Amino acid sequence: MLELRNVTKRFNLTGSVEDERIALDNVSLAIKPGEFVTIIGGNGSGKSTTLNIVSGVLTPDEGKVLLNEYDITKLQEYRRAAYFGRVFQDPMVGTASDMSVLENLEIAYQRGRIHSPFVWGFKKADKEYFIEELKRFDLGLENRLGQKVGVMSGGQRQALTLLMATIRRRPTIRMMRRDYIKFAGLDSLVARKEFDEEFTRCQIIKDEKIAKAKTSNLSKKEIKIIVKEAKFEFEQAMLAKFDLTKQILLLDEHTAALDPKTAKKVLELTNKIVRENNMTTLMVTHNMKDALTYGDRLIMFHSGHIILDVSGKEKAKLKVDDLLKMFEEADEKLING
Amino acid sequence: MDFLEIVINILSSGLPCCLLALGIFLTYRLLDFADLTAEGSFLLGAATSGVMIYNGVNPFIATFTSIIVGALCGVLTGVLNRYLKIPKLLSGIITLTASASIALIIMGTAKGNTESIFKSQISFGNEVFKGSPIQTIYSLFTPYSYNADYGIWQVVAPWGELIKLLIMFIVVAIAMVLIYFFFGTEYGMAIRATGMSEKMARAQGINTDVATIVCVAISNAVIALAGSLYVQEAKSVSTITASGYLVIGLASILVGEAIFGKRTFKNWLISVALGSIVYFVIVTIAVRLGLPTELKSLLYAILITIALCIPLMKMGFKKLFKKNKNNKEVSKC
Repeated sequence: MLELRNVTKRFNLTGSVEDERIALDNVSLAIKPGEFVTIIGGNGSGKSTTLNIVSGVLTPDEGKVLLNEYDITKLQEYRRAAYFGRVFQDPMVGTASDMSVLENLEIAYQRGRIHSPFVWGFKKADKEYFIEELKRFDLGLENRLGQKVGVMSGGQRQALTLLMATIRRRPTIRMMRRDYIKFAGLDSLVARKEFDEEFTRCQIIKDEKIAKAKTSNLSKKEIKIIVKEAKFEFEQAMLAKFDLTKQILLLDEHTAALDPKTAKKVLELTNKIVRENNMTTLMVTHNMKDALTYGDRLIMFHSGHIILDVSGKEKAKLKVDDLLKMFEEADEKLING
Repeated sequence: MDFLEIVINILSSGLPCCLLALGIFLTYRLLDFADLTAEGSFLLGAATSGVMIYNGVNPFIATFTSIIVGALCGVLTGVLNRYLKIPKLLSGIITLTASASIALIIMGTAKGNTESIFKSQISFGNEVFKGSPIQTIYSLFTPYSYNADYGIWQVVAPWGELIKLLIMFIVVAIAMVLIYFFFGTEYGMAIRATGMSEKMARAQGINTDVATIVCVAISNAVIALAGSLYVQEAKSVSTITASGYLVIGLASILVGEAIFGKRTFKNWLISVALGSIVYFVIVTIAVRLGLPTELKSLLYAILITIALCIPLMKMGFKKLFKKNKNNKEVSKC
């Protein structure tokens, strides 16, 4: 669960108190796992600031950012990368233009892990995986892995960034344990105990399976397959329970720079990926129609405050006109009050 | 033989500059960091190697020390830029300015220099021969024969220059292979991504501050190695002769890219290395054709301008070509 608790952020443009502008004023927000949230608001209303505070680009002046009850307010941006996938407004920013599609994907795949200076960057198994993932995108990119990203169109680059934000190498057991103890929101001793117990339980199941296969009179080849399967099941069971990363997708107006047709395609792709992987998503957008069409919760910002927060059926009932009316009302309130 | 002499001349000044160009390429192209430290680390690399060899230290240790000194220069520039938030150009200038004085101090540690702690020039030209304590990495492998008539050791005729070139070539090749493989590793790719889009790099969990510092350090280590090769070839170093190399390196990169292209990383590296050879070919031809040496700097400036314009000219030609094609099609209709 991602949580902002009483976050305030001020921008001091020239240094004098008069020029101070409050971007976020005591904002609290809690987002459940698996929730797809769309955020709308006018220019300078604080929606992008919120995203930047979550991803660690900005540090709040007051308040806290919590990930599964763990305080990440002071965690550096690059250290948070393991838990957030990000897509930017500018298609040029999200990918390295002078590097090939494959190189970009390899960098993204290593997110949240050490980029080692002693390990060759290209791996054969990864390439097959990327091709499979790209095929699902249906953009014809799977045949263009060696091509430089710089020659591709904005829509393709944005789709690639989206893929880069969602893939990530499976964490090792050790990494999972470290993250679980840190981010599970439990007392560290309890978390450690829970993890270790589950780990032993899964391992016993795995060992039993392997032992059973070895005592039976199967051929060596079949035993090998069973061993492999058991190991895979073990990994999956651990991942299902303890993998806290690859949960949160941050989309900062990622279709704003695209033409309407491409924007729609990228949005649909986004929706597909989010639903398939059941990802927690924060999507900032200027387009109210998109905000209503996609996602299951809508938040509207106005001059640093949340003025609307609807989800489920209530959101489904909303129309663009209602939102516009609310905007105007909020503006009037600001002027009169 | 005159021709061979010219070729040897070109290669013996071109090969150290290959490394120089590669070093500058790493910051200027991969990291998009206009790093003026290059000038300073070349001088410091040359000065360190020069003084150590003059003092009779093993030339390999001297070369290695040069590399370390260059890397330290890079780390300094990187830290100034990254942690003290000084703009890239300025942090390079700061290191460059400091290195001029530091080079004087380093050269001041030469044997027999008792008058002051500074020294602006070191030369060990006549003292490199077999059996003497002063050795360069070239002279270690050069065959010498004893001339009984004059009572001195002499280089066996064609071998001296050839072995020098061979050693230079091996060093350049090793450096290139190492650079190629390093920038193909996970961390190398992270560094390249940092140069292209820092936002993206941070979003992918790369500590861009450290990546920048590491890349600038590697770049300056390579440049200092170039300085070390240069001083062992020229057998002398002074604060004046070892300056002005930044422009040469930059010109080599531009010439190489314009002629040999930059399609893939491998292709790009080789282009840059070959660029410095081409550059020296052009300069040598110009000088042979009777260009006064006083006009050399002007020639450098013109060369760089032309090299920078080549991509534009290429585009212009393509456009012309396309227009003609369209016209033809129109006329056919």
